[in-house]
This record gives sequence, C-alpha cells and structure tokens, in this order.
Amino acid sequence: MNMSKLLKVFLVGLLSVLLMTACGGDDDTSSDDTSNDDTTEDTSGDTGDEKEDVTLSFWEFGNTGYDVLIEEYMEANPHVTIELQNMDQNDLHDNLFTSLSAGSGAPDVAMVEVNQLERYRDAEDRFHNLKDYGAADVEGNFLDWVWQTGENADGSFMFGLPTDIGPTVMYYRTDVFEEAGLESSPEAVGEMIQTWEDFESVAQEIYEKTGKQMTDGAELVFNARRDQAPEHFFNTEDELIVEEHDYIRNAYDYTVSLIEQDLIGDIQLWTPEWFAGMGEGTYATLLGPAWMQGVIKDNAEPGVWSITTLPEGAGNWGGSYLTVPAESEHPEEAYAFVEWMTAPEQQLKSFLDYGLFPSAPSVYEDPEFLDYSDEFFGGIKTAQVFSEAAEAVVPVYKGKGYYTVNDVLQEAVSNVNAGADPDEEWNAAIEQAKSALARQ
Amino acid sequence: MKKSLEEKKKTARTAYLFISPFFLLYAVFGLFPMLFSFYLAFFKWNGLSEMTFVGMENFNFIFTDPIFYEAIKNTFIIGLLGTAPQIIVGILLAFALNSTLIKFRNTFRTMIFLPYVTSIVAVAIIFGVIFSNQEAGFINYILSFFDIEPINWNIQNWPVKITISIMVFWRWVGYNTIIFLAGMQSIPNALYEAAKIDGATVWQQIRLITIPMLKPTITFVVFTATIGALQLFTEPLVFLGRNLRQEGITMVAYLWKDAFVYNAFGTASAAAIVLFFIIIIFTGVNLLLTNRIGRTKKAR
Amino acid sequence: MNNTENHTKKRNIQKAFVYLFLTFGSLLSLFPFYWMFTMATRTNREINSFPPPFTPGADLVNNFQNVLANMDFFGSMANSLFVSTSITVGVLFLCSLAGYAFAKLEFKGKKLLFSVILITMMIPPQLGLIPQYYIMTQLEWINTFQAVIVPGLINAFGIFWMRQYIQDAVPDELIEAAKMDGCSTFRIYWNIVAPTVLPAFATLGIIVFMQAWNDFLWPLTVLREPSMHTLQVALRTLNDARQMDYGMIMSGTFWATVPLIVIFLMFNKLFIQSLSEGAVKS
Repeated sequence: MNMSKLLKVFLVGLLSVLLMTACGGDDDTSSDDTSNDDTTEDTSGDTGDEKEDVTLSFWEFGNTGYDVLIEEYMEANPHVTIELQNMDQNDLHDNLFTSLSAGSGAPDVAMVEVNQLERYRDAEDRFHNLKDYGAADVEGNFLDWVWQTGENADGSFMFGLPTDIGPTVMYYRTDVFEEAGLESSPEAVGEMIQTWEDFESVAQEIYEKTGKQMTDGAELVFNARRDQAPEHFFNTEDELIVEEHDYIRNAYDYTVSLIEQDLIGDIQLWTPEWFAGMGEGTYATLLGPAWMQGVIKDNAEPGVWSITTLPEGAGNWGGSYLTVPAESEHPEEAYAFVEWMTAPEQQLKSFLDYGLFPSAPSVYEDPEFLDYSDEFFGGIKTAQVFSEAAEAVVPVYKGKGYYTVNDVLQEAVSNVNAGADPDEEWNAAIEQAKSALARQ
Repeated sequence: MKKSLEEKKKTARTAYLFISPFFLLYAVFGLFPMLFSFYLAFFKWNGLSEMTFVGMENFNFIFTDPIFYEAIKNTFIIGLLGTAPQIIVGILLAFALNSTLIKFRNTFRTMIFLPYVTSIVAVAIIFGVIFSNQEAGFINYILSFFDIEPINWNIQNWPVKITISIMVFWRWVGYNTIIFLAGMQSIPNALYEAAKIDGATVWQQIRLITIPMLKPTITFVVFTATIGALQLFTEPLVFLGRNLRQEGITMVAYLWKDAFVYNAFGTASAAAIVLFFIIIIFTGVNLLLTNRIGRTKKAR
Repeated sequence: MNNTENHTKKRNIQKAFVYLFLTFGSLLSLFPFYWMFTMATRTNREINSFPPPFTPGADLVNNFQNVLANMDFFGSMANSLFVSTSITVGVLFLCSLAGYAFAKLEFKGKKLLFSVILITMMIPPQLGLIPQYYIMTQLEWINTFQAVIVPGLINAFGIFWMRQYIQDAVPDELIEAAKMDGCSTFRIYWNIVAPTVLPAFATLGIIVFMQAWNDFLWPLTVLREPSMHTLQVALRTLNDARQMDYGMIMSGTFWATVPLIVIFLMFNKLFIQSLSEGAVKS
C-alpha cells in the first residue's frame, strides 16, 4: 500500500522533529503516534476466530426491497448473517471509492451502479473475481450485454453479477398525439415511428398542429441515439475513438437538427418544470428507461401516458451489479449470497414487488411476468414492452473514461440548446475530454 | 511592573500548554493529509492504481488548461460580487440590530441568521425554482415586464455567475452580521450618545465611530471572508450539479472535479498547491488594504 | 425647542428607514426557510408542479410520519446533539485558551506559531478526505464518535476569533492586577478572561454548533453504522435512487433545523445577558 508507506515515513519524520524540539507536553503525542504505527501492522478484521458463522455487510441504494429477500436468505442459510445498509446512491459510491482507495472499510457485498462500475475498470485488484467462485456457471441466466458489462475487456474477470437493468422505451402522451390528429395506440405509434426520420417528421407534424414539442429536451434524444451505436467513445484498449467513427457525431448532429427546428424543448431533467410537464403534457414523448414509470406515475394522471419501443432499437440507463470487494474475508459466502440474490426467482420477486426490471431473460417467459399489465398506461402489458427493449440492446464496450467523455458531450448538447454554435461546442468538448483523460 | 525571569518562563510554558492542543491535533489529523496532497502533485494517481511519478507534468496540465483560468476568473468575480457586499451590508445590518432604538431586535436577529441554518437541499431547490430557465420562472417572469427575453440562468455565462453570487451573499450575510454584532459590543454606548448630542447623523456615527472602533473585527472578517471566497465550493456544486460547468466553476470546484469526477488526484493536488499560493498572496493584499481603512477613515 | 422637534422628526425618519431595511432583509432571509416548511406540508406532486405552491398544504403530519417510518429520526438527533455539543464545548475551551495565550501572554515564536495557524486555514480541505479517512482506519476509529469529534476540535478560525476579541475586550490592567494578587495564568483565564468574553463565546458557539450540526461529508465517510448516524447522514437515506419524495425529505430537513433555531435563541440569550452584565460592571 502506497498510502501506508507514506504514513509511516510521515510518522517517523514527525517523531524525530518532536524529539528534537524536546517539549514537555509533547511527549504524549509521540507515544500516541507510535501506537498508531503499531495498529498499522495489524489490519485484522473483526470475525477472525469464528469458523461457522459468517456476518456479511451489504451496501445497497434505492428502494429495492432487498431487506425482505435477505430475511428469506438468512432463514435458508442460518450460518450467514447479513447486515444491510441502505444509503443514498451518490453517498454509497463515494464511500465505496474512499474505502477502496484507502484499502479499508469496504463491505463484503457492494451494489454498484452500472455507470460507476466503469470507474473501476482498471482496478481489478480491488475486487474478488467472481469467476473464481463459479460465476461462469450462471452466465446463461443473464442477457449477453448485461453480462459483458460486468466483465473486463477480455472476459477473464467478473466484477459483479447484474441485478436490475433500465432498458429504454418511448413513453408518449396519447392526448397530445390525438390532438395532432394522429393515432395513439402503442401499435399504431410504434408503426408510425420506426426510424429516427419518422420521429423527426412526427415531431414536425405535432409541432405544426399543436405547437407542442416532441420531447422534453436534448439530453435523452442524444442518449437514445448514442445507445444504439455499436461503438461508443473507446475501443477495448481504452483509446478514444469518438472521432474515428460517425456514430456519436451522427447522434450529436441529429439532436442538433431537432434543436434547430425547435422540435425539442429546453427543459432540464429533474427540475420542477420537467416533472410538471409530465402532468400537463407540455411535451409529447419521453425517451426513458423502465424505472421512469415510477416518476411518471408520481407526476401525471393515469390513462394519458402510454409506452412503445424506441425507433431503431433500444438502450439502457441504470441498473446495478453486486460486487465483492477484495477486502472481504468471506468471498465464498459473499458470492453464494450474490448468486442467490441475482437468480431469476429473486429477480422476478423484485420486479413484481418493486418494479426493478430483471436482467435475467428467463423471467421474461414467466406467465406472471407476461401477464403483468398496468392500468396507469392504459392497461397495456408493460413488462412485455420493456423485455422487448431489453433484448434489443446492443452490447458495447464503454471504458473507464466513458462518463468523462459523456459529461462534456452532454454539456455541449445543452449549450447548443441554449444557442451556442454546434461545431464549436463539439470541438471544445472533444478537446476538454482529451485533456481530462490525459490526467487520469 | 517587574517580572522575574522565572515567572516569565513559567508564563511561556503555560502559553505553550494552552496552544499545544491545536498543534498536536493538527499534527495527527491535518498535517499528513496536507503533505500527502503536496506529494501527490508530482504523481499521476487515479485513487486506485499505483502512483507514477510524473515530475511537473501535472502543473503543465493545469497551466495549459483554459478552464483552469476560467476557474480563477470565476472565483474572483463571484468573490467580488458575492462576498465583498456582505461586509458592507453586514456592518449596516449589525449596526441596525445593535441600535437601542430598535424593537424586536431578537426576532430580526434570528431571521437574519436563518439562511445560515437553512438546509442546502432546500436552498438548491428554491434557487432552482426562482432562477428557472423557463419563461414562467420567477425572475424570468418579472423580467418579462421589462421586455427582457427569458434567461438561461444555469447555462449562460453572466447569469450563472450572478446567481451563484446571490446565493453566496444570501447564505453568508447573516453569518457576518452576527460576527460584526459581537465586535460592536466593545464599543461603549457613551461614544454614540456623545455623538448624538453633537448632532452627528447615523452615517457619521458609522463612519467615525463604528468603523474605526470595529477595525479588529473588520480585519477578522476580511481575512476569513477572503479565504472563504477563494475556497468557494458548495454553492456552485449545489447550483450546477456535479458537472460544474465552466461558466461557474471555482478553483476548489475545479480541483474537486479533477479528483472526484475525473479521478485525477495528481492534477487536483497540483491545482490545490497553486490555489494555496493564490490565497496567501491575495489574503495578504487584502489585509494590507484593510489596515488602511482606519487611517483614511473612509470605508470602501 | 424648534431644534429638538426637528431632531425627533429626523430621528423618526431614520428609525423608519432602519425598520424598512431590517424587515426587507428579514423577509429575504425567511423566504427559503418558509418554503422549506411549505414543502414539508405538501405532497410530492404538488411540489413538482410549476410554478410551485406558495402556501402550506395539508400533509404536515403525513410527511413526518413517513420520515419516522424511514429513518430513526430521534436516535440520530440524539447522536447529532452529542457530537455537536461535544465539538462546541471542546472548541470553545481550546480556542479561548489558545486565543488568550496569543492575545495576552508572552512567549517565544508567538508570531510565527500564530501565522502557522492562519496558514492552515488557507489549505483547501477537500483533498484531505482519503488520507484522513485512512488515518481513521489505522486508529480503528471508523464508526466511533471520536472520529468526528476529535478532528472537529481543530479550529483555526476559533483561535483567531478568540484572540481578536480577547485582545480588545480584556484590559491588560485587569490581568496585571490579578497577577499581583497571585493568580495563576489558568485562574486568570477562568475567572477573568472567560467571563469577560462571553459575547465572543456565544458567537463562536453558535457558529461551531451550526457547522457541526449541518456537516455531513465527513460524518458520512466515517460513521457507517445506521445506529451511529448523525441527523444529516441519516436524512440522506431518505433519498431514493430515482424518485425523490421531496415532501418527506423536506419534512425531515425542516424538523432537523428546528433544534438549531432553539439553540440559536439560547446562545442569543446568553449573548444579551452577558451584555447587560457587562453594562452593569462598567
């Protein structure tokens, strides 16, 4: 450990300075400090001598209902006690990073959001390789693209097993479509908007007839186009390739052209006007993931929103992985718990009780799942729409610098939406991304 | 007064004992992190992998980064707009709250201090609503009466800086008022009474009595407010989110983003060192300027 | 006669102006706080409408019940009280001792040591998080209150403040006289200096207490056990991943702020009492 070496050097230095300036009261510290030094040597955990009983700490975020599943697990496995700690999403990831960086304090099992997983791409030594504990056997349980995101580039290392996912669909306001004289059933809308050109022409039509904009803002349009690209910002060697292919630039240009025709709004996500727009129908569609249902239900009346697939495919936003940090002294037990938690049976329960969308395709065949319908969205079988989207997601390598590049591009898109020059913003964003990447 | 050598030594020993807790605690909890940052400035480190020595490269990165200069510029602009007026308004508020003529002083005091205790989450939401980019946003709506087009408060260059400055001013003016208020206690009321008999106006009282007598407190506030302004971080983070757009990024926000968003701890540490020197220089200059206040008897 | 009439008129205008100034300032200060209360009485849907409601709604009790169902509100409040009080008492004592030494005692290296204290304030603290956390793991202080309290006692600002105040408010003659009477330096501090600078204590006490109470970044990093959470840390567990229930969050936040106002009023009373006592003395 680098930091521990540095701390030792520091303590030796401090000690000698204190000895030289021989002050009466200062003797206390020197003895204090040596005791610190002693503790550096023994970094033993708390449950060293017990063989049978194991206590696993588990960090999770959000409203998952995992506490109920855990009860069930502990009943079936009486030698395992699981201490669940629910945290705010950002807080969990900050605390996990601090703990992994300092090499102490991480839990036995940590739920890591898919974006955050990229951060640890080159820190395999901070996690147990779940393939060492039998993860390869359950590969067939999961969708390919979800599985691959949990692996390293060459597939030799498994960071975590996937829990839920966030396949993206097109939510739309039936009333706005009707106001524009268009059909509004999911089948008809799906038929009407098969390509992004269709999306644009429908947007023009809605704008002409109702004066309303097609969607809330630029961010989700850009995301939708980006997520359908077979290559994103990096190749598997983590080299920036965003300028070597046209996919991302096309996504950018498409978004810009909608902005320039005034077909999309400039409402930022998670602002009061965004929530309010959901209820009032200020915009016709929302290109969001499965979990966005809950947000829409919170802010709109039932019956006006419906769901269909995105034009030209789908993407993914959100979802998590259960990882076992390298510090854990009970990786076998931790893995067994992770495997159980992410198994199709448990995923089905999480879906039915908490709406967490499963990453295990076998669940999609389950009759309970197939029949799952939602009156809020006009009684359509929502689970089927989402599972169709989940299976349409293209696997793609993201890379540890993914969100650095994504952030600057999103900023560029929002600047263009506020009136900036698209080409200048693009070039500035690429420059800024390169500068940030060179520092990492 | 005669003091024996022995007595002097004894006093000194007691004095060292009195100040030692700070230094001991700092040695244990503050010094290592500080030296660690200093050390990191010459390494490339993402927080997880091995550190690699890169010499002065990190400094090279930040000095050739246009956003670093933006961050310096923003810090000074927001400091000037958000912090400097606090000192003037803080003195005026404290003077008013100290005046024996005023009833309900306690109520006013409590209310003026409220922004300091109001949760930052609430502040974020409310500023987001007041300074909404939408036409129906509070400020944009008012501006529409003057035929001003809706402003993108959290995107456009000056609106971003102005909004953050207002937030800073609003959150901290009550805090400085309380400090000034404590400083004003050492000014004997008799001085004001005498001035009133001589027919001095309120303005003259402030200029000729309050400000010169308050000089130690003013020095204190200028010192801490300068440091606070140069280390400004929470308000831009809350208003702009983790992305910390370059229109409103401050120096500390810049190094925080480098470290905790980009995982570039090396350049973050280099930026911290540069910032440290800027703070030393600028605080020194400000203290020199403050020192002249009493002499010219003129508040800036 | 005429002259004094003019005088009172002028004074009345001045008074009106001051009231106007204070009322305006108070309203601006009060507004977001009032809004926080409004949100605490509203449903999430109402808060998310645009423009949002300006008047309190009907969900005050309901929202707070949700808070109680989702976090250990009073347990974490007890933790917060303990941590913040310990830090405040410790800081007041240590900073006034050090401030007194720097203001009134003679010793070698005084200026240098004081500058060192001021310079520590100029170091941006944000990058210290990881190494500081590392030290705590080595001391095995994670999940203990001392991990928050002990580093919280380092307060350069407080030393500077006490020095500035003591230098001004405590007459040298008083200290010399006490010395002649054979008082020890600590006795002088305890019996003469401390009582004289009560307003400074009150002010510093308010500031330190508020800071400790509202701090969450560091407590969040070192206090992981839910039973050890302070209010600000526990409040964050009310945040869901995607669907924020702002009515509940604001309710928790609002009720977590109310004790601060009580504390403020207490210190303020101390502040005013100490003034009237001082007035009697002089």
